[in-house]
Amino acid sequence: MKISDLLKLAFRNLMRRKARTALTIIGVVIGTISIVVMVSIGIGVNRSFDEMIMQSGSMTIIRVQKYGAIYDEDGNYVDSKEQVLDDSVVELIKGVEHVKAVSPVVNKYVRLTSGKYESGVTLYAMDCDVFEAFEFPPLQYGTYPTKENPSTIVLSPESMEYFYCFSGNNYQEKSIDPLTEKVTMQFQEYQTHPRKKEFKLDFENVAMMEQTDNWEYSYNIYMDLNYFREIWKKYANSLTLEDRKRALSSTESYEEIKINVDNINNVAEVQDAIEALGYATYSEMQYLEPLKETSNMLQMVLGAIGSIAMIVSAINIANTMVMSIYERTKEIGVMKVLGCLVRDIKRQFLLEAGLIGLLGGVVGILISYVLSYLINKYGAGIMGSLVGTGTSGDLSVIPLWLPFAAAAFGMLVGVLSGYFPARRATKIRAIEAMRTEG
Amino acid sequence: MDKEPEKIIELVNVKKIYRMGNEKIYAVDDVSFDIKKGEFCCLLGTSGSGKSTLLNLMAGIEKVTSGTILIKGKQIPKMSENSLARFRQRYLGFVFQSYNLLNSMTALENVEFPLVFKRVPLKKRKRLAKEMLVKVGLGRRLHHKPKEMSGGQQQRVGIARAFVAKPEIVFADEPTGNLDSKTTIEVMELIRQMARDNNQTIVMVTHDRSLATYADKVIHILDGKIQSIEEPAAENLPEETKAVECATEEIMGEEATQTTEEVKKEVTEKFVKEMKCPEPVQTFPEKGKVAVRVVKKTKQFHVPVQRNGKGKQ
Repeated sequence: MKISDLLKLAFRNLMRRKARTALTIIGVVIGTISIVVMVSIGIGVNRSFDEMIMQSGSMTIIRVQKYGAIYDEDGNYVDSKEQVLDDSVVELIKGVEHVKAVSPVVNKYVRLTSGKYESGVTLYAMDCDVFEAFEFPPLQYGTYPTKENPSTIVLSPESMEYFYCFSGNNYQEKSIDPLTEKVTMQFQEYQTHPRKKEFKLDFENVAMMEQTDNWEYSYNIYMDLNYFREIWKKYANSLTLEDRKRALSSTESYEEIKINVDNINNVAEVQDAIEALGYATYSEMQYLEPLKETSNMLQMVLGAIGSIAMIVSAINIANTMVMSIYERTKEIGVMKVLGCLVRDIKRQFLLEAGLIGLLGGVVGILISYVLSYLINKYGAGIMGSLVGTGTSGDLSVIPLWLPFAAAAFGMLVGVLSGYFPARRATKIRAIEAMRTEG
Repeated sequence: MDKEPEKIIELVNVKKIYRMGNEKIYAVDDVSFDIKKGEFCCLLGTSGSGKSTLLNLMAGIEKVTSGTILIKGKQIPKMSENSLARFRQRYLGFVFQSYNLLNSMTALENVEFPLVFKRVPLKKRKRLAKEMLVKVGLGRRLHHKPKEMSGGQQQRVGIARAFVAKPEIVFADEPTGNLDSKTTIEVMELIRQMARDNNQTIVMVTHDRSLATYADKVIHILDGKIQSIEEPAAENLPEETKAVECATEEIMGEEATQTTEEVKKEVTEKFVKEMKCPEPVQTFPEKGKVAVRVVKKTKQFHVPVQRNGKGKQ
């Protein structure tokens, strides 16, 4: 038989028992809705987590900090230890597999002044070679420092925004444009030698990062490590003898070593490797991993709940097909005698079951879109507090692949549940079939 | 046609044995015969004689226990289900006692159905089906469903369906079994005329011996065996057959109160008297029936008569 004839016949047979067909389709509709909506909520929650993660910094970064935290087996903080971080440690970590970039980090709290306005930010000094490997955001203007031109200071957008000024009782805030306004930086750590000139660094060569969600690149300013050492020496020279010694020795070891891992999936592995070297580490991943697991678990549970409805509807389809075959036993016999190929009989029943699945799937998807819209509009507050994400993102997200997957799944369920009834139909012997009434 | 027509169906030592527990039932017991192309063959026998089984064996609906069935040189019992289906599409047509029309379809769609299996294009098959229905006199009932038609009309749809694909052989299983005598004649005439138009071979199963008049060859079957094969000359047979029929009908009308002996006697008398039959007439009781056998030259008539007027004719 031709496909067009098979389709026509399948449609006709479905239309013969409109109520029953409709009920079976409704079963599939409910199954599809439950899967699509549940999965969409799972995806939505996952996406909220991802957004949260992105805001809290790069996920592939591991830090080894001067004061490493010690945790017990359950991950509770018990103590901290001081670890000496120098260039030998940097070299050691460079040897670990999956490490993309390593840089020692010195951070200093600095005071910025511009005219009568002032502000405080944290200055991070890192190896200028690895800025790219650490995936620093693109720049609005300027260039990242290089070995040849190390004096550039990289500003993040918000570092220039909260300059303030007290004049009498007035508090004023303004943002400074470092290209047009003069900005001066001062270290705060030690007292300047009373007879020496205070150390000040004017911003001459600046670069500005683009706005990102990552807080690391929102408030801090960055500089090349070698350049930092240069100005730190100058600063040290302006200090009292005692402080100078302390200041110089304080930069021999680093506050932190920052490591970028090549892939988010290797973070835990690298972290373990560094821990094995005897250094306490810290990463955002470490905290978000369990959260991520929870959200994955949630997605699976939701999917499983959805699947139950789908399984019920599959049984429903199978039942409908079995009934249909009982009713049409005689018809099947006649068809066989008239020269219908067994293959065509099978196809016809599979097609009917598949059509039920497909129709239910399509209708289910359409309703799912409506439900998803309603959930996002009205349900976000209720569900959000329930799930525990306070993000503004949509609670139910239907990605483009989901409707296609659901329709295909619906059809698959139909065909699978129609398979055994169809096979049974082909096994009916013509002679007996024709003797049955109906 | 002067030349001897080719054999289209050949049966050699065909057996069909059913097992009921430990008991073997010989539904068809060592049957051999052949049917020539264009022949109208009638398998005549009482119910339970194995004639329908024989037809089903020929059509490949049932499998033989042993023996060979050749249709158009093909070994029917050895064919796979698929090739059988294709064979049926191409060469076989079927008319059933209970019409076996699909109730959900109109007359036109029912007639069209075998062509759907043959992948005939939509327009062509609609046209063929329509022509066929016009031929059987149902040109105005194309879009009626079977339930909206009389038995005779339904059977005509069935005939149209059997002939629409121009099969070389049409199997008819009690085609008039559910019809009254007037429609029976109409339907039989229709089948004969259709078959003659295209030189098609008809194999018909019936218990109604009056229908044997339409046949070129009558094969009498009893208990799964061929009793006799009769090839009456087309001209002289019908009158005598009618006479026997008439006698049978009369006897059956009044026999309810009679004993077997009385029936036997009466039947014999009537046969001798009405048919002016000089040859001896044999009567013998048989499985609750009275059979009358008139021996006249080469012809044998096997007339079943029921002891009490109930049941089948």
